[in-house]
Amino acid sequence: MRATRFHRSVLHIAVLLAFGAGSAAADNSAPTHWAYVAPSRPVPPTVQAAGWARGPLDRFVLQRLESEGLAPSPEAGRATLLRRVTLDLTGLPPTPAESDAFLADPSPDAYERAVDRLLASPRYGERMAWEWLEAARYADSNGYQGDGERTMWPWRDWVVSAMNRNLPFDAFTEWQLAGDLLPGATREQKLATGFCRNHMINGEGGRIAEENRIDYLFDQTETTATVWLGATFNCTRCHDHKYDPFTMRDYYGLLAFFDRTAVDGGGGDPQSKPNLEAPTDEHERQRAELGAESRTVAATIAAIEGRLFPRPGDKPAGESESAKPLPEAIRRDLAGEPARRGADALGRLEAHWRGKDDDYARALSRLKGIVERRAALDRSVPRVMVMEDVAKPRETFRLLKGAYNRTSDRVDASMPARLVDTARPPRQGDAANRLDLARWLVSPGNPVASRVAANRAWQLFFGTGLVKTSEDFGTKGEAPSHPALLDWLATEYQRSGWDTKHLHRLIATSATYRQSSRATAGLLDRDPENRLLARGPRHRMPSWMIRDTALQAAGLLAGSVGGPPVKPYQPGGVWEEATFGAKRYEADHGAALYRRSLYVFWRRIVGPTMFFDAANRQYCTVRTARTDTPLQALLLLNDTGYVEAARVLAGRAMAASPETGARIDVLYRRVLGRSASAEERAILAGGLARHRERLARQPEEAGRMLAVGESARPAGLDAVEHAAWTLVAGTVLNLDEAISKE
Amino acid sequence: MDPLSEHRRLLTRRTFLGQGAMGIGSAALAGLLSRDARAAGNPAGPGWGHTHFAPRAKRVIYLFQNGAPTHVDLFDYKPELVKRHGQPVPDEYIAGRRFSTMTGKAEGKKLLAPVEPFERHGQSGAWVSRLMPHTAQIADELCFVKGLHTDAVNHAPAISLLLSGSQIPGRPTLGAWLAYGLGSEAESLPAFVAMTSVTRNTTCGQIFYDFYWGSGFLPSRFQGVKFRGSAEPVLYLDNPPGVDLASRRGQLDDLARLNELKRAECGDPEIATRIAQYEMAFRMQASVPDLTDLSREPKSVFDLYGPDARQPGTYAYNCLMARRLVERGVRCVQLMHAGWDQHRSITTELYNQCRDTDRASAALVLDLKQRGLLDDTLVVWGGEFGRTPFIQGSLEDRPNWGRDHHPYAFTVWMAGGGVRAGLSHGETDDLAMNVVRDSVHVHDLQTTILHLMGLDHERLTYRFQGRDFRLTDIHGELVKGILA
Repeated sequence: MRATRFHRSVLHIAVLLAFGAGSAAADNSAPTHWAYVAPSRPVPPTVQAAGWARGPLDRFVLQRLESEGLAPSPEAGRATLLRRVTLDLTGLPPTPAESDAFLADPSPDAYERAVDRLLASPRYGERMAWEWLEAARYADSNGYQGDGERTMWPWRDWVVSAMNRNLPFDAFTEWQLAGDLLPGATREQKLATGFCRNHMINGEGGRIAEENRIDYLFDQTETTATVWLGATFNCTRCHDHKYDPFTMRDYYGLLAFFDRTAVDGGGGDPQSKPNLEAPTDEHERQRAELGAESRTVAATIAAIEGRLFPRPGDKPAGESESAKPLPEAIRRDLAGEPARRGADALGRLEAHWRGKDDDYARALSRLKGIVERRAALDRSVPRVMVMEDVAKPRETFRLLKGAYNRTSDRVDASMPARLVDTARPPRQGDAANRLDLARWLVSPGNPVASRVAANRAWQLFFGTGLVKTSEDFGTKGEAPSHPALLDWLATEYQRSGWDTKHLHRLIATSATYRQSSRATAGLLDRDPENRLLARGPRHRMPSWMIRDTALQAAGLLAGSVGGPPVKPYQPGGVWEEATFGAKRYEADHGAALYRRSLYVFWRRIVGPTMFFDAANRQYCTVRTARTDTPLQALLLLNDTGYVEAARVLAGRAMAASPETGARIDVLYRRVLGRSASAEERAILAGGLARHRERLARQPEEAGRMLAVGESARPAGLDAVEHAAWTLVAGTVLNLDEAISKE
Repeated sequence: MDPLSEHRRLLTRRTFLGQGAMGIGSAALAGLLSRDARAAGNPAGPGWGHTHFAPRAKRVIYLFQNGAPTHVDLFDYKPELVKRHGQPVPDEYIAGRRFSTMTGKAEGKKLLAPVEPFERHGQSGAWVSRLMPHTAQIADELCFVKGLHTDAVNHAPAISLLLSGSQIPGRPTLGAWLAYGLGSEAESLPAFVAMTSVTRNTTCGQIFYDFYWGSGFLPSRFQGVKFRGSAEPVLYLDNPPGVDLASRRGQLDDLARLNELKRAECGDPEIATRIAQYEMAFRMQASVPDLTDLSREPKSVFDLYGPDARQPGTYAYNCLMARRLVERGVRCVQLMHAGWDQHRSITTELYNQCRDTDRASAALVLDLKQRGLLDDTLVVWGGEFGRTPFIQGSLEDRPNWGRDHHPYAFTVWMAGGGVRAGLSHGETDDLAMNVVRDSVHVHDLQTTILHLMGLDHERLTYRFQGRDFRLTDIHGELVKGILA
């Protein structure tokens, strides 16, 4: 029966009464929610099958299994295990050589050494950066109308580098939220604050600047709350939180920390100040080169001017007696040191002396060229929007209903009151700044961050966090499946000095992680989502990992790290249709087509079409969906990039052996990291025969298929044969196993 | 051989989709095209075929006029505005009102009469501008809702509010909610389809953000699938060069057999979904060419919609496609046409907008009616807000007359599926500035559309971040007055 409005209001009143005053924040008598009590280090429990556990982590899992009357699964096969951990730690499948070496290594710590090798790989930082970029709503354009291109990618490269260097998570936090405020802040520490400026920028005509500015602050506040507090702060923008102990005052108190930059919200400049020049090595090299060239030519000019315009040493050439007859404008252009003159002045001087003194005119022209090249170079240097506080803090107010122009009472910069440990209070108010906030977030005084961060690490490996709602640790979020394990991981993370690689190594080398993902009917029935962890993780890979895997298997993947974003193949007209032709997508050529997905240009208003179930990069996202739609299958079957990968992969199999079974094996080893079974070979060989028979009748079709993608075809391959193998390789790349981690 | 019938033959040859050897039933398939909308942990979604009460409409076509059409010049006739043309806007009409920064303060702005005369039409006597002659012809089929108002004063936030219930992008849109709540009746098409068009040579720059048909925090299978006005209506639909139907079929057969081996070995039920996913992709490849093949449409149809309907990417083509989509069971078609943002082109581009949209909008309603589909198809025409009754620009400069954004009143018309035809609902003041009777907030409009589809807006919820979200946020009143 449908509840009437009256029934519902009675219920509502009852709820209000039960909770005291209508918001959890105002209720001080309720027992504190588990997530808001700092974790204390639990003692790993005693278990019956103690021999199974490889460390404390496993004992927590095993205790739960034993209490449920379940036993863990056996360890996964070695090939499966290597592929699983290589995907998790580097986002790529193992190469056949890596698989061979691992399978041939009989030593008892072969697996641990493989994990260490992967943790040390530069691919590790690239893989770990993806989720951080999603949380940081990183993109290469502003979003909204106009969607101007920004150059935040040096910040993205910094993330990769910080992950690879294993910058401890506390420093990782402090630098990104407040690197500019660290004593003696380095360029790198300032660059890291680009995190805060990754929000969208609205340049729509008619927008009120202050409204934009407040929107940006909302975004910074809510991103911080999601990433470090697991809190749904967006609820408290307009009213005290209905379920969690956060007030509007808490919201605007947190916002106040960010409300002190010179950003005014006006316009849509995608490099709006404060910003930081981030020249690449190539920029620096060219600058040095131009500087040297400029000095030489300027010296030549100075020598000529010394001859043409004799004068006392400290006077400019324009004040020489011999300059008197020259037109006023030319005398002005001669005022400064040659090296300091602008391109316009140099141009006028050159025009004046052309035909009169050709050596002088030539030198002036050369210098003008250098000045112009230098200006163009400066313009091409990326500028990363960063944080920088103004001297006098702005006053921050509570905004009624979150409306930018409905200011209420003044609010001090402060940490959420219910999370503050009164025994060790952080600095708050006017004297406090973002650095105080950042330090508090990763201090033992904040009860939430260590659990939230450790949970995201777990989610990375197992597909689901110990707290499934990794974005919400509040009372409406899900309770942890293994509370003691979560506390142990959180305290271990802190105890290790926020050593992220240590945390990842703990998980990757655990017996829990090493279990086979095979599921019996009974177990599936009992625990369909594998929350009890009686088996290893198995799920479809993120779409970016599927793409990187295909490129790697084909041997197409370009290895270079970092740099400006790239544009791989994308169907024509997608940007044009979304922007009425204002933005044209032109795919890159050569190696840029085969860079890792991390480096693909992300236009906010219309994201890259080759990804699915990815965060939209508009707002902070720490958990993405895993869905299955026919559109995904169409993409993986038909996209130019995947068809080309299949073609190149087929070429490699053909080059490796003349024999069908061996070729199929090459496909399997490159894509799945294992050999094909006899049955699998038979199915694919049957397909090959069919494709071959058809294409032999239609050789022009084979030619068309092989023309897909830019990369060159190896010489000497029979076209019909190569096309038939391309279809077989395409089948392998689309296998459930190929697009799943298991 | 006819490729389409060959395609169908290949489809029926297969047994995967039956309750056959592989045991992949329609249940697994259903999930892929949102036929079973229930999501884990979210029992609130009633699921396919389960409405909260008897629906009046089974599908919605939203003719979204992006950029905000001028209610003042098209449907909301005010003789007083004609009389006071050129006079400053009286303060009491605009006190405390906030306008776009392009207008800034509205004080002292001059009132601007509609640029074309209005006439009464049909038995209902509805006032319609001469700019909309075809719409005028079907006035008795329409319900004009003249009391619409919204909270947002800029395009993207206002469109987002109207379509998703929130000014901030990222919530599920109406079509996604309908797909989630009701599933799809289509065998091989998505439940929610979006299409876009723009008037040729328009100076406006409104962009179609994909969050306008996004699924927000709902599973992404509920998001609108963008059909493009080009050779490949759905991204990646076409097989690569050199791959024909038979070889693709063979490839998918091999793939299914190999995946089935894997399923037997590892026991993951997700693999059954995977097989179905690829099968459904094949079906979609089969059905879309049939959908976009207009060769069997009789000449009378093109006479009705106009010659543009043969031209992919035009509004008229999209209107015809909308009819073909709902005929095939698509739940929600969201058609978006940009170019209505006439800040300085009321005397120029407004005419082009009307020329490009009027005939096809009316044709769609008539076409649906002729086919007996109008009874259970709801058609909604309207933008994100209205335009100011006062001028943007200078009275002396007629070629550049314009009107600014106006969130305080605008007109939407609805037809079919359970709304009262021939009704003019609500009223603005004598200058079309503010609503004075039967005001309808955009949340109320959403409530009413859901109601017509058999859904209670307070019960169509999805739990996310610990909260049960609704399309209507915490608002929404049913507009009973427009129900048939």
